[in-house]
Amino acid sequence: MLPYLKQALSNLFKKPSTMAFPAGDPPKAQEGYRGRITFDPNLCMNCGMCERVCAPQCIVRDIKKLENGDQEITFTFDMTSCTFCATCSDFCAKKAIKLSDDYMIVGTKPEDFMVRESFIKKAPPKPKFTPEQLAEMKKKAEAAKAAKAAQAANAKKAE
Amino acid sequence: MFQNMMDKSVAKSPWLFHVNAGSCNGCDIELVAVLTPRYDAERLGFRLAGSPRQADIVVVSGPVTRQTRDRVIRTIEQVPEPRVVVSIGSCPRSGNVFKGSYAIDGPLEKWVHVDVAVAGCSPKPEAIMAGLAQATEILKQKRKEMRK
Repeated sequence: MLPYLKQALSNLFKKPSTMAFPAGDPPKAQEGYRGRITFDPNLCMNCGMCERVCAPQCIVRDIKKLENGDQEITFTFDMTSCTFCATCSDFCAKKAIKLSDDYMIVGTKPEDFMVRESFIKKAPPKPKFTPEQLAEMKKKAEAAKAAKAAQAANAKKAE
Repeated sequence: MFQNMMDKSVAKSPWLFHVNAGSCNGCDIELVAVLTPRYDAERLGFRLAGSPRQADIVVVSGPVTRQTRDRVIRTIEQVPEPRVVVSIGSCPRSGNVFKGSYAIDGPLEKWVHVDVAVAGCSPKPEAIMAGLAQATEILKQKRKEMRK
């Protein structure tokens, strides 16, 4: 009886355990909480592994070709499709994908739930010569070599 | 004047009706957690109603399976206007990992207009509270528009 009475008395003077949340700031999530995805486009190397391992297919990669041969690559993470399993961030070789502790993913429009980042992938530099030109140059060089060898052989014979 | 008084009091007690459209129970548990003393949504006037006819806000969880599809639509139709539909979790909005399954006939947006969506798998009770707070704002606006 006594321990209960003690508990009851101490409860009388305790603060209520209800969170003040809608009045104040939302409390911080636990460490290691998997919330809204963050994506760093500068680290990404466009291997497409995240898109491949995503079970609910929430990652969409758009590749747009620009006029100068570069590619504009856009990654879209749909937060209303995500299971927050963190497989994409586990498989990300460059650790470009991370799951933040932001759990307030509330909205009215589909656009509120999209994490969208894009970056430009530079085209490799153009070679100086075309393959045909290279082949021709090779032929010429070989012919010159053969001519030189023939000359050397002729000179030896003359001796 | 009476109407004003009614509006004020009604705005402070938006009742919920919870529809489970084939959910895995994760979001349902979080919704119940919202109503416990720890998060205590009842101090803001939210209460689970026993019947859809008494509710203002419909909370839907789950990816809308073929078995529940007709029942979900019927239940939501029974909620009197103005009503606000809140979807909890990723499933009602997209199907989540069940996307493409033969048993799924979603997303919910295909059948009814979803006003507020709370993403997460499952969302934290705080996020659900924020979603419900947005829903009450939308409910107020809808009431005003209905008056006109």
